[in-house]
Amino acid sequence: MALLELKNVTKYYNNATPALSEVSFEVREGEFVSVIGPSGAGKSTLLRCINRMIEVSGGEIYFDGVIASKLRKRDLRKLRTKIGMIFQHYNLVDRLTVLENVLHGRLGYKSTLAGVLGRYSEEEKKQALEIIKLLGLTDQVYKRCDQLSGGQKQRVGIARALVQNPKMILCDEPIASLDPNASKIIMDHLRNISREMGITLVVNLHQFNVALKYSDRIIGVNKGMVVFDGAPEDLSAEQISDIYGSESGDLIIEPGEKNAS
Amino acid sequence: MTQIEESIKGWGRLKEKGHINDGMDLSAVKPLNKSSLAMRIILLFLSVLTIYALFTIDYKSIDVPKAFADTISNFKTIFLHPYSHRFSLWEAFYEVVVTIGLAFLTTLFGAVIALLFGLLAAQNLAPKQVTNMIKAFVAFIRAVPTILWVLIFAVAAGLGSAAAVIGMTFHSVSYLTKAYSESFEDLDRNVLEALTASGANWWQIVFQAVIPSSATYLLSWTFLRFEINFANAVAMGAAAGAAGIGFDLFMASEFYFDLREIGLITYLILAFAIALETISLRMKGRLHKRT
Ligand SMILES: Nc1ncnc2c1ncn2[C@@H]1O[C@H](COP(=O)(O)OP(=O)(O)OP(=O)(O)O)[C@@H](O)[C@H]1O
Ligand SMILES: [Mg+2]
Repeated sequence: MALLELKNVTKYYNNATPALSEVSFEVREGEFVSVIGPSGAGKSTLLRCINRMIEVSGGEIYFDGVIASKLRKRDLRKLRTKIGMIFQHYNLVDRLTVLENVLHGRLGYKSTLAGVLGRYSEEEKKQALEIIKLLGLTDQVYKRCDQLSGGQKQRVGIARALVQNPKMILCDEPIASLDPNASKIIMDHLRNISREMGITLVVNLHQFNVALKYSDRIIGVNKGMVVFDGAPEDLSAEQISDIYGSESGDLIIEPGEKNAS
Repeated sequence: MTQIEESIKGWGRLKEKGHINDGMDLSAVKPLNKSSLAMRIILLFLSVLTIYALFTIDYKSIDVPKAFADTISNFKTIFLHPYSHRFSLWEAFYEVVVTIGLAFLTTLFGAVIALLFGLLAAQNLAPKQVTNMIKAFVAFIRAVPTILWVLIFAVAAGLGSAAAVIGMTFHSVSYLTKAYSESFEDLDRNVLEALTASGANWWQIVFQAVIPSSATYLLSWTFLRFEINFANAVAMGAAAGAAGIGFDLFMASEFYFDLREIGLITYLILAFAIALETISLRMKGRLHKRT
């Protein structure tokens, strides 16, 4: 059964041209899906519609058996605890420590008062430390986040999402601000999360060769519409120029190259 | 390519002829328009008035050199022989503590109320209409001096400590609301988005992310306000009868006319003010270091 299903999702911000128009696709549990497309295609909008950080204008979103697009406040909070999110600019609280930032991922499970007072159970702290260790941040546990490198910050971002015990993690250009080395570390961690923990991933990516290498499936978006949906092997040079627009033709690398890396 | 070449040529042409200044009279750097003319007339009028006043002052029986000498000898009495017949040093010290208490109380009340207002006035935490409303309200309060607020509340509460506490709290709230809300706004909107996306609610985000990350600034601003309130509290003691050292200063100068007592009180206030100033200077240093 599909974990996530979008049916004719449409989003108008304010003007006549939609940021998303009639987007429909399904994501199975444990799948690693990359969303690619040119700047302004609506990738970020698509991701934020899934966890309702943006309200859709039309269509329906089903997640884990409930209609996400119809949930009321309390249930929406519960839905969001099951969906982690990772960002291009990490979005950590710079003046707090790594551990404090990771523990923020537990707030959604708490009553308002317990969250306000910051009462985390021993078990939660133990889990947080385990995840921090898994991501190779043990030496940085009590460091303030503004003292970390970009790659380390992104790993804290992943830890914060993982501590939610999510069924799915949404990643909005997780490696767009990182150098190739750090990018590879982050992408490898994401692959492990998907393979070992069985967590579903929907990842917005700018580098389509990275998408080809890591994902089980690719969704190509252009001008708010899904123009490709299939396995990376089936993505032809022609379809790539469909996604990115014809004028980028000479920038396209042959899809065959994906096996080289 | 040709376009670029053309535009480069254009730059060359610009330099050769310097046609930017064509047809512009460079001597008229500050043209004599209406407002500057009015300004000049007012300045001229004021200087004429000042000179006229100086020549027509009625000195009566005052001998100016003697008046100067007397003033200096009074200053000598004040600053070289501080002493009080009415109270001991300890009693004076106690009065200073009362004044500090007034400053502390109003800062505390102000800080608690301003914390809530500051959250509602921060653009990343509250809807735009709410922030605008609170910012306008608070700016209005700040525009009126503290002493005026105290006198306004004195209409209802009578001159005394109650009016002083309410009036000073009022002004502290507006000052701290502005300072706090600006500290809160330092936290990026995207961070708040990340926490909302993980299921945290507004209060949790405020107490777990917003306040912890601006805590040092909140403390610094609060202390700065405490220092201001200490100065205000002295003035309120004198002007609004709000007890404390300010009231003693008022009595010594207006009622008993005891110069040596004025000296003692001045030194006491100075000592405390310097102590507070030293601490707040350090706080300011920390505020400026913010990156
Ligand atoms: N808050 C907003 N208000 C109005 N229009 C918006 C808003 N956010 C995005 N848009 C518009 O919606 C369209 C899609 O934007 P979106 O950010 O989803 O693109 P994207 O694919 O993520 O681009 P990028 O790769 O540059 O991040 C763009 O045309 C953008 O101008
Ligand atoms: Mg985007």
